[in-house]
Amino acid sequence: MDFDMGEGVAALRGELRALIREHIPTDFLGAFTSDPADLETAQRFCRLLSDRGLLCMAWPPEWGGRGASAWEQTVVREEMWAHHEPRGAQYMGVNWVGPTIMRHGSAEQQQEHLPRIARGETIWCQGFSEPNAGSDLASLQTAARRDGEGWLVTGQKIWTSYATMAQWCFLLARTSKAERKQQGLTIFLVPMSAPGIEVRPIASMIGPHHLNEVFFDNVWVTEADVLGTVDNGWQVVQEVLAFERVGIARYARCERLLLWAPSALGDRWDDLPDELRARWARMLTHARRARLLAYKVVDMQNRGRVRPGDAAAYRIAVTRLDQESADVLADIVSLSNLTSEAATRFRRAVEDHWRYSRASTVASGSIEIQRILLSRSLLAAR
Amino acid sequence: MNIDLSDEALEYGATVRKALESAGGDQLVQRAEDEPTARDRIVAPVLEELGAWSLDPRGSGDELEAAAALCRNAGYWSVAYPVAERICRPVDLGTDGLLVVADVRPAAAIGGLDLRWTAVAMSGRRSTVAASGPVAPPRQSAFVSDLQLAALDDDGSGDLPVAIVLPCWTLLGALDRALDLTRDYVLEREQFGQPLASFQGVQFQLTDAEVERTGVEELAKHALWSIQSGQDDPLGSALALRLAAVEAAEVVFRVAHQLHGAIGFCDETTLSWLSRYSLPLRRLPFGASGTLDQLTRHLGRSGLPGLFSGAFPA
Repeated sequence: MDFDMGEGVAALRGELRALIREHIPTDFLGAFTSDPADLETAQRFCRLLSDRGLLCMAWPPEWGGRGASAWEQTVVREEMWAHHEPRGAQYMGVNWVGPTIMRHGSAEQQQEHLPRIARGETIWCQGFSEPNAGSDLASLQTAARRDGEGWLVTGQKIWTSYATMAQWCFLLARTSKAERKQQGLTIFLVPMSAPGIEVRPIASMIGPHHLNEVFFDNVWVTEADVLGTVDNGWQVVQEVLAFERVGIARYARCERLLLWAPSALGDRWDDLPDELRARWARMLTHARRARLLAYKVVDMQNRGRVRPGDAAAYRIAVTRLDQESADVLADIVSLSNLTSEAATRFRRAVEDHWRYSRASTVASGSIEIQRILLSRSLLAAR
Repeated sequence: MNIDLSDEALEYGATVRKALESAGGDQLVQRAEDEPTARDRIVAPVLEELGAWSLDPRGSGDELEAAAALCRNAGYWSVAYPVAERICRPVDLGTDGLLVVADVRPAAAIGGLDLRWTAVAMSGRRSTVAASGPVAPPRQSAFVSDLQLAALDDDGSGDLPVAIVLPCWTLLGALDRALDLTRDYVLEREQFGQPLASFQGVQFQLTDAEVERTGVEELAKHALWSIQSGQDDPLGSALALRLAAVEAAEVVFRVAHQLHGAIGFCDETTLSWLSRYSLPLRRLPFGASGTLDQLTRHLGRSGLPGLFSGAFPA
């Protein structure tokens, strides 16, 4: 056995950390704050990563990548999420919009979108969820109706992250009624500047830009905007969700914040109740557990032996870790009178983690859906 | 990265499982309980034939992995025999096995075995096990007896990681079995005209248990690697594994009993035996709180080695 990712991967980790140290302010808490400078920081950082061939490492060379190994991709996910995702919303374009366009897009779509994603120039949003179609996504009602050479799209999307800043929407809409609700769905690549699109931010405890409503009122789209083939969008969606199988490396931020705590508290660490330090030690164990479960999924994918149950077990473990570690960290902060500048940075990072973690069992496939997937896998015939 | 046991170790584990099944499988623990003085004769020869007592877990990574695979499959059949403890015998004392013990009321599931034991405390202090106390009937005691120790030296710290990790592999085998039994039961047992497995309330309990079990599996492999490759702080990894394993056992056995209903407490089900004989593994040398206390004190303010070791000044 060998849990060491090797020298090349360790060097990549070092390179990413050095870039973050040099180019990301120490108080950076993500691109999606009320301060526009944070988004600018992220956009600059993406261009920097792109210039160094680090933004789309996993992509094939023909599209500007270098076919990075699964473990190199893992390190990128870990370092970015641990440091509050300095790529901003670009991870969506890099992780799944680009690869999906490579697989299903026309030559024109590939030429139009892939170079811009590879340079970190475009922000995408995902037009999937609707007020009456969350976990039951195939029940969506946003409709694209034939109109001459194209379609007119009408409907409402919700919970759409980054919609206020996105230039493009990866939109799932119904193009026909069929026997099964998974049939008759089509993916459109829609410019957010198209007439008839209105974005309304939703004020939330998570922070600005994360949650929005997007209204489509007779938005004109053409054949050239269809990704793949008409009425076969569900299959593409399944692939998109597969790209997100490992998802965000939430464990990396948990582990970083947990290890930061004793240093941030200094001598006051020893004044914490024994019970709270024990909870901290327990969370470190859970962070390692979640990380190893992620590695198991990566390893299985790497060997072409993906089992949905493994991914679901990891997602359940990591989203619980996210919330439970946030609770422990919040308790640590609440019992510490932190006043120094460094300690204040820690306190703000913990508060941000706590708020964002509330959504981790809901976002990208709720924990209930993960449990259903895992139980199906457990109970399937052997 | 290679995060699985070697093919040889996995194959050895499969051989162990078949051999123990042929030797009696679920009957092994029942025969040991019926005839406590014969338990050495029931299990030890089978393991001897498989080369268990010549494994040297400190000698090479391959042998350590083989030992782990052996322990897991012994746990699967709940052999009620100190397999891991015998494999971990000290290299320098000529005794038959090594027991990690608590400072307060040291005990181990070695009742009725005519073997020579060494005990090691978390401080690294080694003792000769001068005598084991009287054994209550195994039905109540699961062969656990109090130990009288005679201090020997303070040279046992290096043995602690392997002596903590291998019994966790035995417990992992018991968790594997508890979930296999429960899965089969909920697929077969019908209520309200349908299998229990069709109810989401049942499915979700099963998934909670599986998340715990599979998490232990990964930590167990990682802890083994920490030992075999000389990583920083193998003891921290061992204690983290033990914490996860003991807490997982609480969830897995609670779910297994709940989903079996009343029949799961009856001796006609394997779960009843597996559950009872898992207790020494879960409680000794310390249960969940005692393990967490050990881990917390061990980690201090430096935490477990990981992605951000050394990233923050201590």
